[in-house]
Amino acid sequence: MFDFTKVTNWIDALLLSFLPGWAATLVECVLVALVIITLYAVFAIILIYMERKICAFFQCRLGPNRVGKWGSIQVLADVLKMLTKEIIDMKNVDRLLHKMAPFLVIVASMLTFACLPWNKGAGVIDFNIGIFFFLAAGSIGVVGILLAGWSSNNKYALIGAMRSGAQIISYEVSIGLVMLTMIVLTGTMSFSEICQQQADLGWNIFRGHIPAALAFIVYLIAGNAECNRGPFDMPEAESELTAGYHVEYSGMHFGFYYLAEYLNLFICAGIASTIFLGGWAPLHIWGLDGFNHVMDYIPGAVWMVGKTFFVVFLLMWIRWTFPRLRIDQLLALEWKYLMPLSLVLLVVMALCVSLGLTF
Amino acid sequence: MSNNNYFSGIFFGVKSLLTGLGVTMKEFFTRKITEQYPENRKELKMFDRFRGRLVMPHNDKNEHKCIGCGLCQMACPNGSIKVTTESVELPDGKKKRQLVKYEYDLGCCMFCELCITACPQGAIEFCTDFENAVFDRTKLVQQLNLPGSHVAEKPVAPKPAAPAAEKPATEKPAAPAAEAPANTNPEKPAAV
Amino acid sequence: MTTESIIFILLAAFVAVFSVLSVTTKRIIRAATYLLFVLFGTAGLYFLLGYTFLGAVQIMVYAGGIVVLYIFAIMLTGKSKDAQQKPIALGKRFAALMAALIGAGLLMFVVISHHFVSTSLSAEVTNESAAPISQIGSSLLSAGEGGNLLPFEAVSVLLLACIIGGLIIARKR
Repeated sequence: MFDFTKVTNWIDALLLSFLPGWAATLVECVLVALVIITLYAVFAIILIYMERKICAFFQCRLGPNRVGKWGSIQVLADVLKMLTKEIIDMKNVDRLLHKMAPFLVIVASMLTFACLPWNKGAGVIDFNIGIFFFLAAGSIGVVGILLAGWSSNNKYALIGAMRSGAQIISYEVSIGLVMLTMIVLTGTMSFSEICQQQADLGWNIFRGHIPAALAFIVYLIAGNAECNRGPFDMPEAESELTAGYHVEYSGMHFGFYYLAEYLNLFICAGIASTIFLGGWAPLHIWGLDGFNHVMDYIPGAVWMVGKTFFVVFLLMWIRWTFPRLRIDQLLALEWKYLMPLSLVLLVVMALCVSLGLTF
Repeated sequence: MSNNNYFSGIFFGVKSLLTGLGVTMKEFFTRKITEQYPENRKELKMFDRFRGRLVMPHNDKNEHKCIGCGLCQMACPNGSIKVTTESVELPDGKKKRQLVKYEYDLGCCMFCELCITACPQGAIEFCTDFENAVFDRTKLVQQLNLPGSHVAEKPVAPKPAAPAAEKPATEKPAAPAAEAPANTNPEKPAAV
Repeated sequence: MTTESIIFILLAAFVAVFSVLSVTTKRIIRAATYLLFVLFGTAGLYFLLGYTFLGAVQIMVYAGGIVVLYIFAIMLTGKSKDAQQKPIALGKRFAALMAALIGAGLLMFVVISHHFVSTSLSAEVTNESAAPISQIGSSLLSAGEGGNLLPFEAVSVLLLACIIGGLIIARKR
């Protein structure tokens, strides 16, 4: 596999050749931030277009098809519209918190986005506690949502924020347990090592067989809830709360929530593909050497993005199939079904690993 | 509330969720029924039930079925129909009511189809035209009977109770189509 | 003046400013938000030192857990508009001043007597000090030399007591 560290090392050496150490680090940080933000925006646009098309296809419609060929620049037009819209100042709200809340949400989303391993050697944030950092950074977003609901001075926003907070905190339990299950299997928390392991030994979902597959399903459900997406979109249930916690936001402040929602979907899918489906590791079938060799020629980034979009499709399929859950059903699903299941999975996985039942 | 319920509930839930997923996946691959209107206006076929605007079908001899009874005008809740009739002398001395002008205001019509239900002759119907937009409101008032058209003569008169609403009418079998004599005045012009 | 020191000074200023804001603001929800930033700054200090695990724990437990809990509690207890702001009694002011002075004095004594200022941060420290997660895990659950099994279990008993207490308070009568 192509090792991306060659590129980063080359850039590093190039910068160091005419800059002092601290300046080179600064320039690299800025470059990486630019790349991350660009990718963030590009993926958001792709995802919004994909969502609209896929939603339409599931409902036997055609979706956007007027602006550009197959409506392909519809989303760009929407982005322009959102950028030019007025950001409305309201009376009797806590201005500071009202304006800060979207930034908290988007910062949390970008931090987690930076955790994704794109290729061999192309992970931006790669600690030895990668998964733990991912969970920690993801939990900042809740604060943003709660503050948005509170500072809007609107009962719908407040109810939406409370629901969202309860939902995200509850489902984080499942996500954490499922990730622990997979850490038991891999023995490491670093995203790059997890991917490398899967490239050498096979994807985790095959290595961990039954418990890993069940954990994958639990992760998809809990991750969907974490992103506040249907069928778990109680916080912004249009029919009862108009838009939930972001009902009072307009213009680009709303746009931040919108962006973060889609990118959280992408991040959720990206982590699922990293932990369960091998990340940038190509598909290898044991025994078919010719096939494996061909697969190795496909770059890792393509594998990563392809798998991620596959999982995104699964999540969209779920979203556009099921009706919205009531808040008590939603909490019952987590605390009575998913959490016990993930605890059982954790124990089963630990048993499998200690008895050598994994591949 | 036994454990049994809990687990059977899970299996039932999973089964019904999978059914739902199956339905949407099938829908994902079915041909989309959306009509892309301006592009496909050549081959666009509206469904039969569509009520575009009122028309009076004429046959190839430029004959329509309207006898000018005015029932449609009375049935119309919006007063969008105005029937003008005149009385003509038949060769055998009988007087016969004849349609002069059948005016229909598309701008007032609410497409309730009461006029069509009221018509004893089946002389009017809705067509499936839908490109009815014009630049001037006066163009929405249309005359439905073609110039020079007249009532189709029927060989026999089965004629159900339809004309009963009209005047007694001592008609003969010779004058088959329901004609009511002596009532030349075009009934009160409906207030528009 | 190394890069680390610059970042350290920035983070320290960040923490200090938001700490002051957190206690001087009149709106309780803003105080909670400023506290969040203080905790971010602290986490930043841990990351600067290379203690990524501790930094992540700081964000996860304090920012993601405690502050969210605070905000939830504030939201559930309603607006504090009607809480009239009585002028603080003179005795209380004096007590607060004394507490602040004594606290600052103690802190300064500890800081100066341990020569924190003299040992500057360096790149070597940053890279060496990151303990692997497996080491942290095994020392957390080992009963042997330097193991933390007893405090770990004591904390879990405490949490269990909290859960039972919550259940008893919330149960239907």
